[in-house]
Amino acid sequence: MVRPPELLYAVDESPPPGVLVASAFQHVAVIAITLIFPLILGEEAELSRIQFLDLVSLSMMAIGAATILLCIRSKFVGSGYLCPACYTAIFLGPSLFALKQGGLALVFGMTIVAGLVQVAIAPVLQRLRVLMPSEIAGLVIAIVGLALAALGVQYMLGFSAGRGIRQDYLVISALSLAVMVALNVWAKGYAKMFCVLIGMAVGYAASAAFGVLDFSAAMPPGGLAILRLPSIGYVHYQFDIFTLAPFVVAAFASTLRVMGDVTNCQRINDKDWVRPNFASLAGGVAANGLASIICGLAGSLGPNSYSSCIGLSAATGITSRTVGYAVGIAFILLALVPAATVLFAAMPPPVMGAALFFTAAFVFTSGLQIITARMLDARKTMVIGFSFSMAVMADIYHDVFMQAPAVLQPVVANSLVLGTVCAVALNLIMRLGVRQRVTMKLEFGQNNREAVEQFLTQQGSRWAARRDVINRAVFGAVQVLEVIGDPPGGVEIEATFDEFNLDLRMRYKGNPVTIPEKRPSPREILSSDEGERLLAGYLLRRSADRISSTGSETGAEIHLHYDH
Amino acid sequence: MATGLTMTESRNGGVCIVSLTGRIDGSNAADFTTHLNGLISSGEKSIVLDFADVLYLTSAAFRALLVATDEAERKAARLALCSLATQVRELFEMGGLLDAFTILGSRDEALARLG
Repeated sequence: MVRPPELLYAVDESPPPGVLVASAFQHVAVIAITLIFPLILGEEAELSRIQFLDLVSLSMMAIGAATILLCIRSKFVGSGYLCPACYTAIFLGPSLFALKQGGLALVFGMTIVAGLVQVAIAPVLQRLRVLMPSEIAGLVIAIVGLALAALGVQYMLGFSAGRGIRQDYLVISALSLAVMVALNVWAKGYAKMFCVLIGMAVGYAASAAFGVLDFSAAMPPGGLAILRLPSIGYVHYQFDIFTLAPFVVAAFASTLRVMGDVTNCQRINDKDWVRPNFASLAGGVAANGLASIICGLAGSLGPNSYSSCIGLSAATGITSRTVGYAVGIAFILLALVPAATVLFAAMPPPVMGAALFFTAAFVFTSGLQIITARMLDARKTMVIGFSFSMAVMADIYHDVFMQAPAVLQPVVANSLVLGTVCAVALNLIMRLGVRQRVTMKLEFGQNNREAVEQFLTQQGSRWAARRDVINRAVFGAVQVLEVIGDPPGGVEIEATFDEFNLDLRMRYKGNPVTIPEKRPSPREILSSDEGERLLAGYLLRRSADRISSTGSETGAEIHLHYDH
Repeated sequence: MATGLTMTESRNGGVCIVSLTGRIDGSNAADFTTHLNGLISSGEKSIVLDFADVLYLTSAAFRALLVATDEAERKAARLALCSLATQVRELFEMGGLLDAFTILGSRDEALARLG
């Protein structure tokens, strides 16, 4: 892992206490926006004010524990990165469905089941990589970014069914967003680091000035105590096979989002990142599963890793894992302070919207970068393009999709779930007919280097291989052809690929290629053809990750291996 | 025209700029050498080879460049390479040939050095 120079505090570094606290509070403020999902559940369940306060407090405690679990660096649990948790729209659809079927007890019971599904998936994650390749993780991140931006705009402008744009919301959110952008782009030091927090504070102040900030709606009837232990009196558990399907789909979508988010963390923290580390991904998925179980037990919705916080860490350059622990502890402590609970519960929608919209930009772009690092042929283009379109359609034609049978609604009514299901299904269909081992034969007298280039480039696109690795393989093949010339009997080129290896074997009749350990001097190269051949062998040795060259009476073979 | 390689000449004051596009390998290295030696023989004293659009080069191309550099030294001319893409620069590094040539980051830098 190579530390990117733009990071101020990398994953294994600890910022000084002042920066740590302010940075943690900034994440807490961004995560608090997602308390909207337990709040929606509470409103739909028609909880009393005091139960409502209990729900918010318990949800804060659970999300604190979930954040610590996701950030831990251990063998089986935790991603090892600053990867905070949040509440998510992924579980909102299934939860509201379960609420209608069996009340809150069924919501909490099935949230525990969804957690168990994720814990079961984690150990076999690497075997499931065929279902979830890098470009699909990138797609999931991009869809999440788009969904966050859409939600952000809705809150920023205050529109809902039958209502137009609210002028006061527009002014407040524009001011808040402008502060975040200006500090992030043109400021340095603390102002840049805490741009979102400062922007949100400005938004709260503007909301107070416009009369949008209203604490009374979240205030319990007996007033606020200094400290308060929430009651779990309203929490019961129930299980039902009929509601299993939507929660299993949500568990899979949530798993893909964790994979996308942890992949993003790995990419942000490693300048030379090339492929996901599955141990870290599996730890993240196991942690998310355990976090779901904790949230269900505590009486809340299923959680997920939070792409916005990862976008925030990339924007501020603070990716320290210690910040994640501080965020978790802060949530658990603040859950005991009713004033803090009310402060979060009363967060003005335009402030929520500005923070969501700002962080969504970093999430969306990160997803696109992960997708475009791969070569994409027509098949992969359709997998990505169709799935992305379906995700967008789920939002644009939401009313139409809601007319689907009830059992399908948790899939088709949520852009992330629909996009993810489409991508996984299409990817499996499009794999039909794509061979992992391919060969081409160059007949004697047809030593066509452009054909070799085209062959390897086309295969690279079919496999969605990394562009840089295919470029190195093209160079290797052409360099070998240059050395062996046009042998009688031609040349057979065999390429095999999986997500981790690209192997090129070239077979021909003739002498094996010399692979020197010592590079020839410029004078040696200049003075003879042999010098040039030695340089060719030396370049092949250096450009491949492993190389062997063998010969016998039946023919010669050179094997070039590239790590992928 | 050499197979897979396009060479386009332009001038900036006393400097002759050769923009290269494509790949330089055994199929076109001889044409490449002939072209560069022709420029040097015709009296060009400052030549910039712009590699911005070169995809890759093989051992035959490196030899052609060494031949041209040798010829330029003998005729008291100056030859510089510029704008190497990352993967092309890596090949120079792999071959240990970065120091064998004058390599500059951009065309402007090359013109400033040779102009």
